[in-house]
Amino acid sequence: MNVTNTTLRTERGGNSLWKDAFRRLRRNPLVVLSFGVVVVFTLAAIYGSVVHWRYRILDAEMPARLQPVKQLAIRILRAESVRGQEPVYIRQDLDQRYQPPSRRHLMGTDGLGRDVFHRLVQGTRIAFQVGVITSLIAIPIGVILGCLAGYFGKRVDDVIVWLYSTFDCMPSLLFIIAIAMIARKGLMGVYLGIGLTSWVHLCRLMRGEVLKHRQLGYVQAARALGAGPFRILFIHILPNLMHLVIINFSIRFPAAVQTEVIMSFLGIGVQDEPSWGIMISNARLRLWEGIWWELGFTTLIILAVVLAFNLLGDALRDALDPRLRVTGDHD
Amino acid sequence: MRAYIWRRILYMIPMVFGIILVTFFLFNVAGGDPALMKLGKNATAQSLEQYDAQRGYDKPLFAGRWGRTRAWTEMEPDRHAGSWRLVKGVAWTNTGGGRVVLPGGQSYGVPMAFRPRPGTYRWIMEYRLVPADDGTLPSVEWVSGQARMLLPQATGWRSQAMVWQVVGDETGMISRLSVPAGTLEIRAMTLKRRNAHWLDSQLVFYLGQLARGDFGVSHDTNERISRMMLRGIGPSLMLTVPIFFVGLVVSISLALLCAFFRNTWLDRFFVLVSVVLMSVNYLVWIIFGQYFLGYRLRWFPVWGFESWRYLLLPVLIGVISGLGGSLRFYRTVMLDEMYRDYVRTAFAKGAGRGRVLFVHVLRNAMIPVMTNVVMSIPFLYTGSLLLERLFGIPGLGNMAYEGIMNSDVDVIRAVVFVGAVIYVFANLLTDISYAWVDPRVRLK
Repeated sequence: MNVTNTTLRTERGGNSLWKDAFRRLRRNPLVVLSFGVVVVFTLAAIYGSVVHWRYRILDAEMPARLQPVKQLAIRILRAESVRGQEPVYIRQDLDQRYQPPSRRHLMGTDGLGRDVFHRLVQGTRIAFQVGVITSLIAIPIGVILGCLAGYFGKRVDDVIVWLYSTFDCMPSLLFIIAIAMIARKGLMGVYLGIGLTSWVHLCRLMRGEVLKHRQLGYVQAARALGAGPFRILFIHILPNLMHLVIINFSIRFPAAVQTEVIMSFLGIGVQDEPSWGIMISNARLRLWEGIWWELGFTTLIILAVVLAFNLLGDALRDALDPRLRVTGDHD
Repeated sequence: MRAYIWRRILYMIPMVFGIILVTFFLFNVAGGDPALMKLGKNATAQSLEQYDAQRGYDKPLFAGRWGRTRAWTEMEPDRHAGSWRLVKGVAWTNTGGGRVVLPGGQSYGVPMAFRPRPGTYRWIMEYRLVPADDGTLPSVEWVSGQARMLLPQATGWRSQAMVWQVVGDETGMISRLSVPAGTLEIRAMTLKRRNAHWLDSQLVFYLGQLARGDFGVSHDTNERISRMMLRGIGPSLMLTVPIFFVGLVVSISLALLCAFFRNTWLDRFFVLVSVVLMSVNYLVWIIFGQYFLGYRLRWFPVWGFESWRYLLLPVLIGVISGLGGSLRFYRTVMLDEMYRDYVRTAFAKGAGRGRVLFVHVLRNAMIPVMTNVVMSIPFLYTGSLLLERLFGIPGLGNMAYEGIMNSDVDVIRAVVFVGAVIYVFANLLTDISYAWVDPRVRLK
């Protein structure tokens, strides 16, 4: 049985939705370029997290219950405890304040003599953290609620539709900021604020699609074979809708990054880490004095990341599900 | 049609109810301690109590007989002895559950933060009596104002409640424990204030406020929030209404241009431009706009709200920053219509391109356009928080921002609530206009 299954799959291969989409995406140079940009920034974010966590684990004054973690890390990294040796993005050098870009400081230094380039790398880490973690909050909520509403209908549907319509009414930025304020300032507030408000669009989309798929032959066949509702939903229907989740992720990621920048700029988001928003806020007034590099490079990098994600998201959407072109735009 | 409108209005009730619940949950249930958030850790218990009483936070959340009072700070014997550390002779152990230990042969005043205001209170104490050296259990007397009781004697942990009336001019010690021999160990002690009615809760208080159209008083300016909002709506509208109309006209004309020249370099150029415009952060528009157009070129004033000239730059920035998204949306709408049968028919019978576009397509595209237009009405109200903030325009967005920075919970709650309700009404308006334009909707 298993053997026939695999042979069938290899014979049929080459024309699936994913392969087809991949082929179409590869042909578009703009898409390939955006993908390259996204890869570069992802690598920068990974590098940034390694630097950041290495410092946090080896240096910070850890609470007693986390000491074993520190000891383990020291043994694995074969490193000494690096107390006092700050990484480049924190290290201040007051003799090097406001240095224009040079070979030593690729993108210049800021008002405390910290290297702008390394701070931007850390900003990339924070942006990616925000994009990923808010998605990890919002996507499960949207998918599960949308599937339940679409499949079970009746009372369940009524309640879930009511819930997401209510959330949809809330004035977006203010609502996010209010949640962040309640959750205390800092990154946690940003995650919760964006994560708990941005599931509505995906939920509505999933509900509509599940509603359609429920009528299709393969679902009826599964039901006739005695599959339970959750098995049908999450093993039969959901894999057919995964492309919607991926499209949604590619749209929400740049939006979350933009919101985080605005929140941190306003002083509601990240507090003392080099978030892009904080960097803009610090550098804003210096622009008047001709110190352009911190603000210039920060805004340029935000534009590059967001633009690459937007272009990639558009292309993914066109390749995977052209019908979404109108409805997907609005949110 | 009338039946449809009525049905639609009825449908609004659960929505408004949902908004009330969400705002209530956010600020009252999840919000923790607004008084502490607002007044800070160093505030006196009395001022916290005053804040609570003024805003109904001293009531139970949904329903119940007992509400909270700050006269007695909850003790956490696991971590510290709380205010018992101020009392002479009291010891504290944190091993095995943690408890405050009152050795015998003395009388102890319960260390309260302030004298409770008149009303009925209830003490609940979880205690244990440890026998004296000669093996007799102590008979502990507990006096609170007029009420006095001997604690029931038992060796294991037990819980005891005492109800206590506070009359206006009560003097002397507020609550006192006399332990003649042995030891009294206290694991937990709470004080609750009797609520006027079991339904008199925070939720009912909030509903009552909303029913009166009263959003309370701002803690910082001591001004009615409804009045502050009325004052802020003017500047907000002065900013957002021009952005709205100019943006609409510009983006629809550009969208028509794209549809007219579809699949030429012009169309592709605008598509790319709209994605780029969408990707630029709002902040960047504002900062560079102020720097280049305001400071460098001196075309516009950089900051302030003094005459109509001060509005030019924020309006321009608002239009440009919104252009990308709306241009893309309207272009898709127009192109969607371009492939319909009636367009082919119109071309076939010899209508010119311009006529087809402006007479046939534009009219049919009005439905999605109208939805988009009506649904952006709520955004006129909060205006643009960032624009108002960075240009110093004293509108609602600025007011909400200051509320957030000062942890002024009532201000934020009012702005969020009104914004959501306006959205519900805009939704109603869209649906009614839909039904008016397209009779099929009514019958569904």
